[in-house]
Amino acid sequence: MSAEAIIACMGVYVYYGQEEILRDVTFEVKRGAFFPLVGPNGAGKSTLLKVLLGLVRCAQGRINTPFDRHPPGYVPQQASIDPMYPVTLRDIVAMGLYPRTGWWRRRVSEARRSMAEAINRVGLSGHESKSFLELSGGMRQKTLIARALVNGPDVLVLDEPTAGLDEESQREVLTHLMRLKEEHGTTVLMAHHGEYLLNGLAEEVCEIQHGRVLLRKPSDV
Amino acid sequence: MFDGLVRAWNLFPNALAAALLIAVVCSALGVFVLLKRVVFIGITLSEIAALGIALSMAFELPPILGAGILTLASVTMLAAPLESVRLPKDAVMGTVFVLASGLAILVVARSGFGLHEVKTLLYGDIILTSPADLAVMAAVLLPVFAAFLLFLRPILYCSLDRDAARVMGMRVMFWELVYFYCLGLAVSSASKTAGGLLVFCYLVVPPAAGLLLMKRLIPLMLVSTGLAVVATILGITWSLNHDLPANQTIAVAACVLLVGAFLLRAGKHRLIRRRNDVQEH
Repeated sequence: MSAEAIIACMGVYVYYGQEEILRDVTFEVKRGAFFPLVGPNGAGKSTLLKVLLGLVRCAQGRINTPFDRHPPGYVPQQASIDPMYPVTLRDIVAMGLYPRTGWWRRRVSEARRSMAEAINRVGLSGHESKSFLELSGGMRQKTLIARALVNGPDVLVLDEPTAGLDEESQREVLTHLMRLKEEHGTTVLMAHHGEYLLNGLAEEVCEIQHGRVLLRKPSDV
Repeated sequence: MFDGLVRAWNLFPNALAAALLIAVVCSALGVFVLLKRVVFIGITLSEIAALGIALSMAFELPPILGAGILTLASVTMLAAPLESVRLPKDAVMGTVFVLASGLAILVVARSGFGLHEVKTLLYGDIILTSPADLAVMAAVLLPVFAAFLLFLRPILYCSLDRDAARVMGMRVMFWELVYFYCLGLAVSSASKTAGGLLVFCYLVVPPAAGLLLMKRLIPLMLVSTGLAVVATILGITWSLNHDLPANQTIAVAACVLLVGAFLLRAGKHRLIRRRNDVQEH
């Protein structure tokens, strides 16, 4: 693992039952990079993110991340939250404070300030009391990004944050992520279905095809 | 209603106190039964508790002991992730339900219990609550309710977004078990007096009405417990006035309140739509 890398994945293999999902995956993510994982549906993008996050075990290989000591900000696919839950935007963002507060501590004024700041950073101030069900697709995505940001993580891991959004909302979400990377030096690791919106944003894309990865410049697309 | 409440209190203070206690605890816990979409667990746990009570009586042990042990063991099994064995949780719960119901009847059939004991054992009768029953129930339900409220945040977060909770370092399996143990203890201690039907009703019907009316968790839990209390008072009052079985009358009253909540929501939505139409024109 090189000195400037924050995440390293070396010779990783993942199986679901007998099926091979990832084969000999090796790459590094540099600190402060914007690192998109691209590929068709079912290529293994989400699985790779889950392996890095420790949610899925790899059968073989080594993974180095700082996530044990510094939990990353994680933005799952929107569908991971059941809209039937009676929660507001504020409740969801407050969930991100859990590593800081635990179950026993009340939210102190500092935590409240962090929440207001995270909500403001994604442009959702004034919508705090809206229920998750009432929010549009783009607003739901931004809510999940605010939850991931509330603890000021070094790394942000996003699983298809633009899925199901119209092109304008997709651009808006990507622009937000770029701003985060530039203003706060946050490393952004993101699974992304399409590629054309990434031109000019990332130095490098990691393409996954049939469980194998290929690193290349986005201009090659 | 108030006169009926006073009369019920004068005639059956233990029954009323027990019913209100079960109503509050089970309808609050039931909110997560609906949110986690595991409604079937309510009736399954009730049947397991009935089996535990039957076994305890057959072996002359305290009923709460058998009900508690069996329910907690089942809850531990049901809370385990079963995706790896490609078996839907509902299928497991269904099988456990059938097994527990069948075994409860078999145990009872082989015992020397009379018909009245068997009916009370399997269906419960809140009116027959003794001071000892109430004391045991309070000793279990009050700490369970306190633990549930104390750990509400991690229980909510682990249920709302399992993966994100794990990434944040939360022990998802532990908090899931905390919730299911609370549920198991509540159902096992309430089942002997309230019976499977009433416990299941409290776990499902008032929370469903609350879900129709409220958009936030705490107000939803308050409405759910409030409606369960109202259904209990109405049910006991009606059952006294018309000489009806109390458990079933409370269950029907809860369903009537659910229909009322549905109509209230439908009326509110129609009003909002009409107001929006007027504004557009």
